[in-house]
Amino acid sequence: MVPSETRTAEAGPVGRSPGQLIWRRFRRDRVGVISGFVVLFFFVVGLCAPLISKLYGKDPYTRYGQIEPGLLNGFGYPVKPNGGIDGEFWFGLEPFLGRDVFTQLLYGIRTSLLIALAVTVLATLTGILLGIAAGYLGGRWDFLISRFIDLLMAFPQQLFFVAFLPIVATLFVDPREETPTWVRVVSIVVVLWVLGWMTLGRILRGATLALREREFVEAAKVSGASPWRVIRKELLPNVVSPVLVQATYMLPNFVTTAAALSFLGVGLVEPTPDWGRMFAIGAEVYEADITYMFFPGVSMVIFVVAFNLLGDSVRDAFDPKSGRR
Amino acid sequence: MLRFLLRRSLGAVAILLIISAVTFFLFYAIPRNPALLACGKSCTPDQLAIVERNLGIDDPVPVQYWDYMTGIFAGRDFPAGDCPAPCLGYSFTNNQPVLDTILDRLPTTVSLTLGGAVVFLTLGLAFGMLAAWHRGTLLDKTMSSASLVLSSLQIYFIGPLALAVFVYNDGDFHLFSQPEYVPFTEDPGGWFAGLLLPWLVLSTIFTANYTRMARAELIEQLQEDHVRTARAKGMSRSTVFFRYAWRGSLIPVVTIFGIDLGSLFGGAMITEVTFTLPGLGRLAVDSVTQSNLPMLMGVMLFAALMIVLFNILVDACYALIDPRVRLA
Repeated sequence: MVPSETRTAEAGPVGRSPGQLIWRRFRRDRVGVISGFVVLFFFVVGLCAPLISKLYGKDPYTRYGQIEPGLLNGFGYPVKPNGGIDGEFWFGLEPFLGRDVFTQLLYGIRTSLLIALAVTVLATLTGILLGIAAGYLGGRWDFLISRFIDLLMAFPQQLFFVAFLPIVATLFVDPREETPTWVRVVSIVVVLWVLGWMTLGRILRGATLALREREFVEAAKVSGASPWRVIRKELLPNVVSPVLVQATYMLPNFVTTAAALSFLGVGLVEPTPDWGRMFAIGAEVYEADITYMFFPGVSMVIFVVAFNLLGDSVRDAFDPKSGRR
Repeated sequence: MLRFLLRRSLGAVAILLIISAVTFFLFYAIPRNPALLACGKSCTPDQLAIVERNLGIDDPVPVQYWDYMTGIFAGRDFPAGDCPAPCLGYSFTNNQPVLDTILDRLPTTVSLTLGGAVVFLTLGLAFGMLAAWHRGTLLDKTMSSASLVLSSLQIYFIGPLALAVFVYNDGDFHLFSQPEYVPFTEDPGGWFAGLLLPWLVLSTIFTANYTRMARAELIEQLQEDHVRTARAKGMSRSTVFFRYAWRGSLIPVVTIFGIDLGSLFGGAMITEVTFTLPGLGRLAVDSVTQSNLPMLMGVMLFAALMIVLFNILVDACYALIDPRVRLA
């Protein structure tokens, strides 16, 4: 850090690429850096869930409470206070089944982030493709894509998710057979993806519409660049900022929506550990054991807050004029 | 105004027709056979044929769709009985007309939505104005941080939490009575008491969002040239704030409010499930778990109708708020 500063002073003004400027602005934003670390922490936890649970010595499937006597009482609730939290079960035990809450949460975060990440990538690519196509091609394509976006926006979102999840699943397997877990995951991804890309698509359509008339795009066209080259070399670099900002807002949204689906009972089913289904279990046992819900709930609030703050910081880093007011 | 309404209504009808067709074909065409879903896991071919005939799905899907649509406009006959004009078919599970069930559940959803909307719109706008007025002070910073955290909460987390703390605690004192739906016409007091906690939980997240939005919009408006001019010619801060900035910030707020109301009227699913209120959202979730396709189709159409209806209302409101907007 310090040597580069002195070198700058000696060599006079140094040219910096936009990327470097953005990175410098982001690094100076303390809230942004901290929330970036928090978000990173969640991804590391999700990624390393098998490793952590190996070190910790438990897994999210074993019904410890039913195997070892003295952990759950006659009603199926943890004997120890606060949901059975102790040195052995850090976040307590699940009532009735007696599974370990800590590893359940680790693996649940892993599943949820995997799903949300997949949906974010798919939705972002779709938004870029259709948004830029509408804005750049214009005319009939623009009309078609814009009306398509209008139509999808008129769909009742939650209802659509809840209603079509089982239907998408029957695309892959016969409804009479047991649905495998990967089919459920793919169905959730597909359903969230279909209604997840429109906001980005709309923003990119507008941005491309404005960029299309700029001189550098016209210059590229006049010098004989193919449409594909214009899109790749002239348009895409100029829409990186809205794409990244929207993607950071999208991901926590997909996490909470997927969790809501599990809560409503149409998402992932037992025994796959899932962040959202922990709320469904929590809603059944809260009268006697509110502690069970505490860890998934608080961790989700922290995750969403950190991600939203990160989104604001990314936006500020890319566009200092927009600044947090 | 009349031409605007006519044009937008035609557009809405077109969108509803497409949504109905898409929903219908996905429901009835893609899962190879809805009778399989309705018939259950151990289903013989003979049973299947009976179920298909009872459900009225032994015709090809386009014919079924045509029957369904004519049913909505002209009514149709069912083995279960006659179904007059806006006919949405019969429930697969209890053979009740779908429309009756929807109308039966509607008051719960409407009560929940209207009460919640009153709370979050008033509080959200008030907090947003307060924060914008005291911009940069400790009050503003506290409110902004609080609204950031509150808007990141989830109903399926704070709902059970609130129930455990306020309703099902071990002590003698219960701040709220058990959430339930009592029709307003029967017992206004019970209606209010039963819905109070769902209203507050539903509006916690919305209030936080509206506070953030109202604050941002007001601050943006306060930086406009016309606001500076008004201040420069001697108008007081409060007059400028309420007469110019507030009015200018209304358009985005009204837009979001319309969208939120439209989707809530189609069923506040998570709130209704959390507090076991018998509204449209619960109806939809139950129909999915029971594979009750006609019911789901009906709720879907109703929810889509609400969304397009409120879109039109929002656009009509623009003209009332902003005199520059001419509807045509």
